[in-house]
Amino acid sequence: MAHIPSVQFLRSFSRKPVFKYNTWLKKNCFHSSVVRATAQMPPTGVNPKHVEKAPRTTKSAKVEKISRAMQAYINKAKEHDKMIQEQTAEFEIGKRHLANIMGQDPDNFTQEDIDRAIQYLLPSSLFHVRARPLMKHPLEIIPKRKVPQFGSDGKPHHFLFYTMKPNYYEIMYKAAWKLEELKKAEDHLHQTASEDVLNKENRMDLKGSEWISYKALKENLQEKINEQDYARLVLLLQRIVDHPLSKLEQKFIMQYRKELKPMSILSDIPKPKLDEEGKEYQVGEGKRKTAVAKVKLWSSGSGKISINGEDISYFKDRIHREQLLFPLQVVKKVGEVDIEAKVQGGGPTGQSGAIRLAMSQALLSFVDKDTQDKMRIAGLLTRDPRRRERKKTGQEGARRKYTWRKR
Amino acid sequence: MASRLVTSASRRGRRLNLRDISKIQRCITGDVKQISAKAAPAQAMIKGDHAFQSTIKGDHAFQAMIKDDEKVDDKLEKSLKDHDFFKVRNIVTLRDLFTARVHFGHDAGCRNPYMTPYLFGSRLGMDIFDLEKTLPHLGDALNFTAHVVYRGGMVLFVSRNRQMMPYVEKTAYECGEYAHCRYWYGGSFTNAEQQFEMMTRLPDLGIFINTLNNVFEQHRAVTDFAKMLIPTVGIVDSNCDPRLITYPIPGNDDTPVAVHLYLRLFKEAIMRGKQKRKEDGLEDKS
Repeated sequence: MAHIPSVQFLRSFSRKPVFKYNTWLKKNCFHSSVVRATAQMPPTGVNPKHVEKAPRTTKSAKVEKISRAMQAYINKAKEHDKMIQEQTAEFEIGKRHLANIMGQDPDNFTQEDIDRAIQYLLPSSLFHVRARPLMKHPLEIIPKRKVPQFGSDGKPHHFLFYTMKPNYYEIMYKAAWKLEELKKAEDHLHQTASEDVLNKENRMDLKGSEWISYKALKENLQEKINEQDYARLVLLLQRIVDHPLSKLEQKFIMQYRKELKPMSILSDIPKPKLDEEGKEYQVGEGKRKTAVAKVKLWSSGSGKISINGEDISYFKDRIHREQLLFPLQVVKKVGEVDIEAKVQGGGPTGQSGAIRLAMSQALLSFVDKDTQDKMRIAGLLTRDPRRRERKKTGQEGARRKYTWRKR
Repeated sequence: MASRLVTSASRRGRRLNLRDISKIQRCITGDVKQISAKAAPAQAMIKGDHAFQSTIKGDHAFQAMIKDDEKVDDKLEKSLKDHDFFKVRNIVTLRDLFTARVHFGHDAGCRNPYMTPYLFGSRLGMDIFDLEKTLPHLGDALNFTAHVVYRGGMVLFVSRNRQMMPYVEKTAYECGEYAHCRYWYGGSFTNAEQQFEMMTRLPDLGIFINTLNNVFEQHRAVTDFAKMLIPTVGIVDSNCDPRLITYPIPGNDDTPVAVHLYLRLFKEAIMRGKQKRKEDGLEDKS
């Protein structure tokens, strides 16, 4: 037993030829498929002192066939894990230091405390959030490793792996074959059955849904597809949809469509409230330009209108008065409701528009569904997004230029 | 190649080749129970001890391993000695080629001068392939494909023909191999480590169903395969350049019937290679 070498010696020895083998492959045979990688020598039957130092492996020490690509990945992964471990240790120490600097308990120093400390110790006037100093756990900052798409023999799992966008092209591939099958089915029907088999019922109905967005598709596939790719996919899928027998592939198509939700404005309309006198009323808020209006509307009234304590003569021009009447005309309740409005900011146009919107909002509680739809279509429930356009330098106003004559 | 791998042991008389080294590795690290027995030859080898050989001979596990490897070696070598090991040369006849319209080339004006030797002549201004020349080329290509697969190689089908794209991809899928019928990103092989974001095993054989791209210039993959020293098999029409294709098959690459024939043949060759690999126990047990 005298000639049994120590584990360290054996390990270092056993590595040597592997290294040479690999370097030879690297130099001479780029795409050589398989090398024999050595599993680590398990420490058995040797000096227990050395055993403790040597890393334990639960795997058997059998020689496995591992491709160079997989071996490289494993090595990289080990390096990465080691780096993460080191960084984490550093982070933990740094955290304790920071806690000590701040005079707090290092054991109960949370991420929130860190953020506060960093903000206090390194005040930054930089505007962008990403430009400010930060201290976070390395797992949150360091990008995750990409998982290999191939097995231990180096063979990719996906048959379109080498196209760089296997998931995207798989959909394209599937869609192309679906279309082919539809065409075949159509031919078959033409030959066997009468023309009326190809009626509208076999065609897909796309109402109430839309194609998923480019962003959503990109996220689903986890691949670097560009907008052209997206457009190409939609084109192909649309071709399937346009086919007279498209209903056969409805399930496939609907994977790439998103349901459209109905308008949310009309979904939850509050019920009317009761005031001290037991009268039903509703409140509404509206904005237009810089004006803000709050309206209280009683359903059973005599057509009284009060705006900031005044009557309809608060507005001098006819157009503005008409603005107030318009929603009432649409729901046919002129002279049937009382209105109390408080309005601030802006001029008469803004104010009257704001009151109109607030009134319409309040009116919703007192009308039936059809009328609500009518109001929506009439544009009573939409806030007018237009704003005053700024004056430009070198111009008289927003658009108007100074008078200029050719000299 | 061997000279690079000369180890200290071989410098003193015994030359080691690649396989020897892997055998020795397996001997050293292979069996847990045999550590003490193996430590001796290992140490001996480093010191260049003459006892090395004799010790190895006494090690049954190592002997078995060597035998196992030698069996594989034998099988692989034996497969090469047979002219038609997979019987793929007979799966296609001249008549098959003719009925599949493989003999139709392009207009004589588009001819690539390097294709002239494979032509039979020109009829009504159109080049006609000499199928008697095509057939042995096709046989060689099929044989080579089967051999590559037999050795556990990966095959990549390449084509840029829009019409036949789904069929090519489907064939690759059915064979358990790979297909690339889309836009070829420059550097996807020559700069694979960057492109795939990690070291990647590249295919061991490229099968070009069409060596031109969608604008009728030579497919960039042809040069990329050549740069990476990956052998290629390709259908070369009368307007294609056969020079960078390892196993060119002169023939029509546009007609669907012909392409279907090629796909069927290559699929058959690959499946035979795989079958044989299974039968001979070369499959990785994992």
